[in-house]
Amino acid sequence: MVQYNFKKITVVPNGKDLIDIILSRTQRQTPTVVHKGYAISRLRQFYMRKVKYTQQNFHEKLSAIIDEFPRLDDIHPFYGDLLHVLYNKDHYKLALGQVNTARNLISKIAKDYVKLLKYGDSLYRCKSLKVAALGRMCTVIKRISPSLAYLEQIRQHMARLPSIDPNTRTILICGYPNVGKSSFINKITRADVDVQPYAFTTKSLFVGHTDYKYLRYQVIDTPGILDRPFEDRNIIEMCSITALAHLRAAILFFLDISGSCGYSIAQQAALFHSIKSLFMNKPLIVVCNKTDLQPLEGISEEDMKLVMEMKAEAMKTVMGQGGEPANEEAVLVTMSTLTEDGVIAVKNAACERLLDQRVEIKMKSKKINDCLNRFHVAMPKPRDQKERPPCIPQAVLEARAKEAAEKERRKTEKDLENENGGAGVYSASLKKHYILANDEWKEDIMPEILDGHNVADFIDPDILLRLEELEREEGLRQAEEEDDDFEMDGEELNAEEKEALAEIRKKKSLLIQQHRIKKSTAESRSIMPRKFDKNKEFTSERMGRQLTALGLDPSLAINRARSRSLSRKGRKRERSSDNHGDAMDVDMDTPSKKLRARSRSLSLSRSRSRSRPPSEVTPGDGFKDSAQKVKAIKIAKKSVKKRNKDARKGEADRVIPSLKPKHLFSGKRSIGKTQRR
Amino acid sequence: MRLEKCWFCSSTIYPGHGIQFVRNDAKIFRFCRSKCHKNFKMKRNPRKVKWTKAYRRLHGKDMTQDLTFEFERKRNRPERYDRNLAETTLKAIKKITKVRVEREAKHHALRMKGKKAKDHKEAVKELEQSIHLVKAPAVFQQDPTLTLPKMQVKVSQKQSEENNAMEE
Repeated sequence: MVQYNFKKITVVPNGKDLIDIILSRTQRQTPTVVHKGYAISRLRQFYMRKVKYTQQNFHEKLSAIIDEFPRLDDIHPFYGDLLHVLYNKDHYKLALGQVNTARNLISKIAKDYVKLLKYGDSLYRCKSLKVAALGRMCTVIKRISPSLAYLEQIRQHMARLPSIDPNTRTILICGYPNVGKSSFINKITRADVDVQPYAFTTKSLFVGHTDYKYLRYQVIDTPGILDRPFEDRNIIEMCSITALAHLRAAILFFLDISGSCGYSIAQQAALFHSIKSLFMNKPLIVVCNKTDLQPLEGISEEDMKLVMEMKAEAMKTVMGQGGEPANEEAVLVTMSTLTEDGVIAVKNAACERLLDQRVEIKMKSKKINDCLNRFHVAMPKPRDQKERPPCIPQAVLEARAKEAAEKERRKTEKDLENENGGAGVYSASLKKHYILANDEWKEDIMPEILDGHNVADFIDPDILLRLEELEREEGLRQAEEEDDDFEMDGEELNAEEKEALAEIRKKKSLLIQQHRIKKSTAESRSIMPRKFDKNKEFTSERMGRQLTALGLDPSLAINRARSRSLSRKGRKRERSSDNHGDAMDVDMDTPSKKLRARSRSLSLSRSRSRSRPPSEVTPGDGFKDSAQKVKAIKIAKKSVKKRNKDARKGEADRVIPSLKPKHLFSGKRSIGKTQRR
Repeated sequence: MRLEKCWFCSSTIYPGHGIQFVRNDAKIFRFCRSKCHKNFKMKRNPRKVKWTKAYRRLHGKDMTQDLTFEFERKRNRPERYDRNLAETTLKAIKKITKVRVEREAKHHALRMKGKKAKDHKEAVKELEQSIHLVKAPAVFQQDPTLTLPKMQVKVSQKQSEENNAMEE
């Protein structure tokens, strides 16, 4: 049933929009590239596909429209009539029919052109056929565009119709314009209907919901009806008439006693009688509204008579169950929506009447028997008059009583906590319920760790025994030890020998060091011949010292060394060709006096050892200047040192020059997130 | 709170130290410091790494089997608290530690027993072989003791001063 789904109808596009949509979809979803060099079958296929695709899409869209719009014959007659009243059934059907025709036409066009395309012999011909096909389809749509626009308007209006369920409990409010129908519905439901002093404020049906005896009732507010012949009624009135005609509802006919709506009671009564045929088989209540302006008793005689006539009519609609006196009250009621006097009474009366009627009908129908069969409470038939109450053993009763008493009396941990200062102050003693051999031990704190051992690992009930065993063993062992505690002292080196040994070891380590230095730089360093002994390492004093250390007498050796030394013999270059004389006086005729003086001073001062400063460059060295030599010495020393690979923090790591370097704490990243700074 | 043993070096891990690694087969490896952790990650076998207890035990450097080790065993069932037992246990721990330490010292001494003799032998041999480094053979022939040569004061004054200077 499409009762509530008027809201779910898809939007009907404009004619032009529809064409645009379909054509652009064809362009996008079908292949677009084609060359005239392709095989003819491929060309034909290409264009046939386009034509078929367009036709399919049109078919889909138009079918959707046709299917989703409700068929007036298939829906509830109330809706059918309502739609007819609002939109004119014929017009509606015509529009849908046109859409249907358009759909068929498009299918035919497509079929024809596909047949033609099968025999297209060139790209150009196929293309023109396709263009023609699509063009014709679009023309068809263009022709039905007014229908589409109409259907769109209908759809929009339908979506806004109130959702009335024709089968549920309904209360219908009708009457002349301005009598107070909308005020009434505002009072009993949450509906917010416009209430204004002019007539026809309410132009369409409004629905509210109200509850009575745990059931939900629909309350429908209708626009006012004027007393006119049926044919002259306008659409708005026809809405109310439709509702009246098709909905099985309780009807509240509103009467304005005071006449402030602009119509007299006579006119209203006339209306009543003209539409009373619509009240057949529906519980009717005549409601006299606006009693605050004019109480019911105070109206004139003729008016009273008219009212009584209406009441009589209403009585006829009452189901013939129960005595009339009981129902008299429920047929003619007075109220005032302004003072809210009697409003609830009216609602209750209407609901009650409706409910009774519906229940009656249900009871009479066949379906009720199925329902009744399902309700059955089985009661065992008593076989005799003996009373058999439930039997509860005494112990259980006592236990129950005790428990109840205990619950009142028992003090919970929570109470204790609250007494002692609340949650933050009091910390419960978890050891309270410990089961120990001696209750004094409950609050003991046992150490878990002692001297790097876990105490729990040592705990053992028979630890004492084992300890005794251990101590016994220990005692035995100590006794044994004392027996053979003689460490053979044996021989030992005396002091001198020790000294000699130490000396030997020192010398050995020195040799090793020297060897290491020699070894590490031997390949990269040229070995200078000893005659260029720049540091004056190899002196006779040194020789003398070493020999003495070994215990020999060096004097002979020194003398011999000295006698053979170069300074005595004289330098080669200083010898002139004539002078073969004494080495001592050979220097007399040397070219430069300085040199002679220096060489003499040199020879005389031979005994004093002299070492040059390490940065001084001697001729045979190979260095440019002392700076270079100093650098070379430094590098040589460094190369022997073994590199520290500990990667430990050093002097340079103590200082953090800037605690928040800007490049780490600002700026965006070119890639990635900047969540961590 | 428990003191655990480092898986690599077997030292105790105090609370707040070290790293625990749980492998996919749910075996837990505890390390006392990053040194052990890194060695583990390098897949080194503690039995081959000299400074670990595993190596030392395996190669007999430390005591392996002893009655004192039996006292300390991880028990999985907790015992009900008993004050007397706790007191005795605490005292016992101290005694056991003392005994264990003594025994370890004994073991070490036993291990080191022959060292003196060996050292002596080596020293004598070295002296004999290398005495020529500090005593000229000629001098040695005259004075065959394995000592430094007696100094001769005959040399000149200057040289005698420089005699005691360091050579090289």
